[in-house]
Amino acid sequence: MTMDMVSAILVSGLVLGSVYALMASGLSLVWTTLGIFNFAHGSLMALGAYFAWTMSDAAGLNLWLGAGVAVAVAGMVGVGILIERTVIRPFYDDKDILLITVMTTLAVMIFLEKGIQLLWGARLKQLEPLAPGRVNLLGTTISAQETLIVVLAPLLLGGLWVFLRYSNIGRGIRAVGQNPAAAKLIGVDVSKLFILTFALSAALAGLTGILLGSVRFITPTFGAEPLVKALIIVIFGGLGSLSGTIAAAYIIGVVEAVLIFFVGIYWAPSMLFALLIAVLMLRPQGLFGKSVR
Amino acid sequence: MTNPQRALEIENLYAGYDAFDVLNGMSLHVGASERVGLFGPNGHGKTTLLNAVSKLIRPRSGSVRFMGENLEQRSPQDIVAMGLVHVSQANRLFPDMEIMETLELAAYTPRARKQRKANLEHVLDLFPRLAERRRQEAKTLSGGERQMLSIGVGLMCAPRMLMLDEPTLGLSPKLKDELAAAIGKISAEGIPLLLIEQDIAFVLSLVDRMYLIDHGEITREVERGGAVDHEEIMDMYFGGHASS
Ligand SMILES: Nc1ncnc2c1ncn2[C@@H]1O[C@H](COP(=O)(O)OP(=O)(O)OP(=O)(O)O)[C@@H](O)[C@H]1O
Ligand SMILES: [Mg+2]
Repeated sequence: MTMDMVSAILVSGLVLGSVYALMASGLSLVWTTLGIFNFAHGSLMALGAYFAWTMSDAAGLNLWLGAGVAVAVAGMVGVGILIERTVIRPFYDDKDILLITVMTTLAVMIFLEKGIQLLWGARLKQLEPLAPGRVNLLGTTISAQETLIVVLAPLLLGGLWVFLRYSNIGRGIRAVGQNPAAAKLIGVDVSKLFILTFALSAALAGLTGILLGSVRFITPTFGAEPLVKALIIVIFGGLGSLSGTIAAAYIIGVVEAVLIFFVGIYWAPSMLFALLIAVLMLRPQGLFGKSVR
Repeated sequence: MTNPQRALEIENLYAGYDAFDVLNGMSLHVGASERVGLFGPNGHGKTTLLNAVSKLIRPRSGSVRFMGENLEQRSPQDIVAMGLVHVSQANRLFPDMEIMETLELAAYTPRARKQRKANLEHVLDLFPRLAERRRQEAKTLSGGERQMLSIGVGLMCAPRMLMLDEPTLGLSPKLKDELAAAIGKISAEGIPLLLIEQDIAFVLSLVDRMYLIDHGEITREVERGGAVDHEEIMDMYFGGHASS
């Protein structure tokens, strides 16, 4: 194997890892805080890309860089709030909330996918790249947009980490996830932070869609594969640990790139799953997880 | 009806879980700078009372007033913001958070945030052991340290009244004395106190007045220095077998 090949694999692993980390961190945040898995997370990613597509179409290419992304992300916050209100909030006091919201968020996923298809049609779409042209990264030439993803993901995730660790509201979000009753007793508005967390996660999903929408083709089910990967990553990284999730995302991204290189695109996913199952048999709590939530 | 001399006034309160009531018309009050104890056997509704006051559960009927204000329409966070602070029984707090982080977070309401620095100094002064272990996560604390953190968290909320639920549960006599001294210091500052404890001598050493609770009702009131009828208490615990 030459150095070129190694760096090509590494770079494509980094791109995959960045996308997975952005997706999985939102999913993980919702899991640790609300205690549910959001199966609509992938269709939220697609919706973000369609919002941005409509914006760029309407506003013209010059405008959409700043305003389009902002409007699309704001739209995602709105959609996130709407979903939390309608299909999650009614079940907070239900002891079966986890199973119920599997159903309700799956329903939202189907609703969004079909809704997108009705509104925007099934034809493939692609966004103009935020960053045009090609760039040399570690001796491998990739699109500037992919470089942007690789650079932006750690910045966003680092920002998220600082927010959760040092800001009052971020600490409140962690407190709510760890002990909602104790959080109430220090004056935290639990339901407000639930909404905020869900909206934040929806915005992250939408942003991932916007970033990826100029690298891949946008379809109504464009978020399905990243969702499945993100779900696995959250479990693999150890439920309840955001840093574990992020580390797992990059590990899986690189492993997937290696597998694609050696066994090809058809066998890579099943090999990846086999590997994950093997790891989980040895460490049921995930790579970085604690044994209990 | 309202009495400005009273910090907390509970009248005819009914509350419980799902189908059954645990509190069966509870009435009690705590004066403006009074320290009041609440004593009763396991499972007779002491914790339920505090949960109903701080709105962790919704009372079925009856009224609760804090500083003259009816709490019926208030949410748990409103109640904390007003300064009525509940330090709950065996609170495991936020397991993955460090001591300092937890204390800083506990000054969450705007009013508490303004006093954050002063209160933090006060808490670390009161419990030097928390200062020594500031980076330790709550889940790795010993029982005594966790109780100290729990009370510290209550103080960070800038309380105008404190309700403590068995702060010395499961602690050694030595630690118990340490916590009793700390609670004594806190209430000496004039913060009204409602203290739940299982050890009657311990409660009486810290309060001005004490209620006995039996099956979700107040059955007796004992003034400080007043005689405590041990037989009656044995009766409460053992349902009459001990006194016969
Ligand atoms: N979350 C709950 N759901 C259903 N029942 C509960 C719940 N919490 C308490 N109970 C029941 O309510 C009754 C009163 O419990 P409570 O915790 O108020 O007692 P307590 O006086 O604080 O006892 P202890 O001294 O043991 O702390 C008990 O019968 C208990 O089993
Ligand atoms: Mg109790």
